[in-house]
Amino acid sequence: MAENHVSLSAQHIVKRYGGVLALSDGSLEVQSGEVVALLGANGSGKSTLSKVITGVVAPNEGQLILDGQPVVFASPQGAKNRGIAVVYQELSLIPDMTVAENIWLSHQPLKWGIYVDKKAVQTGTQELIDLFAGTVQPSLQAGEPVSALPPDERQIVEILKALSLDPRLIILDEATASLDSRQVNRLFDLIENWKEQGKAIVFVSHRMDEIFRIADRAVVLRNGRTVGGAVISETDENELVNMMVGDAAAVPRRLAHQPVPAGAPIRLRLQDIHSDVLQGVSLEVHDGELLGIGGLQGQGQSNLLHAVFGDIPFTGDMTLSSAGTGGALRVHFSHPRQAMEHDIAFVPGDRGNEGLLLIRSILENIQLPSWKGYGFPLRMEAARADATQIADDLSLVRESLDAPVSSLSGGNAQKVVIGKWLLRRPKLLLLNDPTKGVDVHTKREFYNLLAELRQEGTAILFYSSDDEELLGLCDRVLVLLDGRISAELSGETLTHSQLVSASMSTGHLEAAAS
Amino acid sequence: MRERLQIKHVSLRYPFLLALVLLVVAMLLNLLLQPNLLELRVLNGNLRTFLPLIFVAVGQTIVILGSGIDLSIGAIVSLVTAVLVTRMSLDASAGQIVLVILLACGVGMAAGALNGFGVAWLRLPPIVTTYATAFIFSGLALWILPRPGGSMPETFARWYRQATPLGIPLGIWIAAALILAWYFLRGTRYGSNLFAVGGNAQAAYATAVPVTRVLFSTYVISGLMAALAALALTLGTSSGDPRIGEAMTLDSIVAVVLGGTRLSGGQGGIAGSILGVIILGLIRNIISFANVPSWYQTLVDALIIIIALAAPGFIQLLRRRRV
Repeated sequence: MAENHVSLSAQHIVKRYGGVLALSDGSLEVQSGEVVALLGANGSGKSTLSKVITGVVAPNEGQLILDGQPVVFASPQGAKNRGIAVVYQELSLIPDMTVAENIWLSHQPLKWGIYVDKKAVQTGTQELIDLFAGTVQPSLQAGEPVSALPPDERQIVEILKALSLDPRLIILDEATASLDSRQVNRLFDLIENWKEQGKAIVFVSHRMDEIFRIADRAVVLRNGRTVGGAVISETDENELVNMMVGDAAAVPRRLAHQPVPAGAPIRLRLQDIHSDVLQGVSLEVHDGELLGIGGLQGQGQSNLLHAVFGDIPFTGDMTLSSAGTGGALRVHFSHPRQAMEHDIAFVPGDRGNEGLLLIRSILENIQLPSWKGYGFPLRMEAARADATQIADDLSLVRESLDAPVSSLSGGNAQKVVIGKWLLRRPKLLLLNDPTKGVDVHTKREFYNLLAELRQEGTAILFYSSDDEELLGLCDRVLVLLDGRISAELSGETLTHSQLVSASMSTGHLEAAAS
Repeated sequence: MRERLQIKHVSLRYPFLLALVLLVVAMLLNLLLQPNLLELRVLNGNLRTFLPLIFVAVGQTIVILGSGIDLSIGAIVSLVTAVLVTRMSLDASAGQIVLVILLACGVGMAAGALNGFGVAWLRLPPIVTTYATAFIFSGLALWILPRPGGSMPETFARWYRQATPLGIPLGIWIAAALILAWYFLRGTRYGSNLFAVGGNAQAAYATAVPVTRVLFSTYVISGLMAALAALALTLGTSSGDPRIGEAMTLDSIVAVVLGGTRLSGGQGGIAGSILGVIILGLIRNIISFANVPSWYQTLVDALIIIIALAAPGFIQLLRRRRV
């Protein structure tokens, strides 16, 4: 045991991406024979900390100590050579290569020191696949291209890939997210084995029940900082959730509570929406309502908004209140153009790629969805006047309307993204995490704008990865988990700890509330 | 579902299947117009004409597999041609010939290294980098050899033009050697790293594949292949033209695409590209034997390029429609 003993300690790690502080003080210790769970809400720095440990990103400050010696990993190669392997959440597989090629990539057994020993690769792969025998389909074969596998088997290949290195320290980054319960059980059996062999395991997860089953200790991150730890046998879910949420029990209200006027018509009703990610989502949003959508990132929130906008295929019922008659109208959009014709607007999260023509002028960007209304040839004076009106309403800081959007600050660029839809007077506004990377001042203006839109009766579906924003703005929040609505929070239940527990699949909402 | 997976399977393993079909068609058409096509003398001549482009297409394939593109490969051919014909004296001894050939290979690899430096280390887009360096290499070629001329040692050139070891044309030997070398390379760590970088560079990086070094090496190999192409060209014509490589860049890309290598990288191989070169050559043969006015040749060239580039996307589109 002593000779393969391993210990790793990450101390006060700081990582900045440009001006954004992803990790301000991350610390973690783990050693042979233990499973340490790494916990934290959205954007708390879990992924960044694991990337630092595996050498994918270099920290700006702080230090890694491996087996008592300070180490610096210049690349993933460095960490790999020291016996650190990671199972990624965002898969690190090459789709067009086979299972075996992927598992052994860059560390294949060699013949004559140069040629890949195909036989050894084949038998090695088969031994690894056998670890999950009975929980995977027989089609999971060494020679199968990864692109032909379902998500759970890809995830298993990812696990086997880490295992093929015979690492001393394994980091599992949300590795159970796409596995079914039999596969999770098998993985946990394996983890018990690894512990006995003296491996160290870091288990990053948002599934509380799994953390309580497998982990020995937990380390909690909040806002890029390690805020505490606990021995699993001596703690409970409440304590961990409280650590993740912090003692800021009351989130300041940023927008006055504005009850939806009684009898406001239902603008949009979704029933049992399914897509590749969504597993049956039903909701209603009224005119003048700001309905929040929350949860950990990637649980289907963006997918839901895209489905409503006709961007991605889905099944299920979608009903809009029809403009003329006030009656309900069943719709199923297959193109955003159709959604636009029904007065729906979509503000994407990824401004640069989905929201703006960066090198074109502000005027062109604002008018892009509306040119149709200006005749042929375009009545430019009218277009300019309308765009100026919008820009003034939004107090857009600009040199001139003809300046390229790329010359604007992040906040002002976001105003243009919203402004281009305001001209069309949308009845339903879909916001896909719109305030990411926007400064505080602009956020405030943005919130005021949302209040005005509500006043005018616009229904708003608002996905945000910023929990405090949801709590501060919305009167009702739906929490998504694994493509389903795991909780609907409003009034008394709309608290930070409720929001976090609902996103973590604790299954013990009542307990967290007490 | 199962069937579609199998189609994918087959096209992954044998990406040049389409090229094989095209080859047979072109061969049959060509035989109709030129019945002596398969006679040793004609075959030898044809293959020797194809050989320079085979080298260039092989180099291009390696770069494209790594998700790059080398628009300077033709210019490197011109540059190395200029170096070869000006450095090689008519009565060179065997030793001197070897030295000049090594020099030529060195020049080609140095040019490739410049591309690789720009793409792999400076992270410049491959299209821009190699388009820019193409002007540098063309300019150097014209500076070294302002107008066509020069010559190669006659005995060496005659050997190259007439050699048919064991009764098989030299072109076939060389193509076979290239394919053998490729299948060896494919079986090394370097080979699978190359496919990984082209398939998904980020995933490859996270798996500790030395992405930068792999990218760099593809351009160096491409430069070396351009140098060998230049050698084959100068031996074939016994003289050098400082603009000879210009047309080869686009031809090499067409051959790669015809051969089933995906333009975005990570899938394909050089066997298909070699077939692509032969198809391209046969089609040009057909045009000239069919007594078509020469400007039709340009038209047909253009059509082949469009079809070759559009076919993979078009097949995908048809398949999606059917689902």
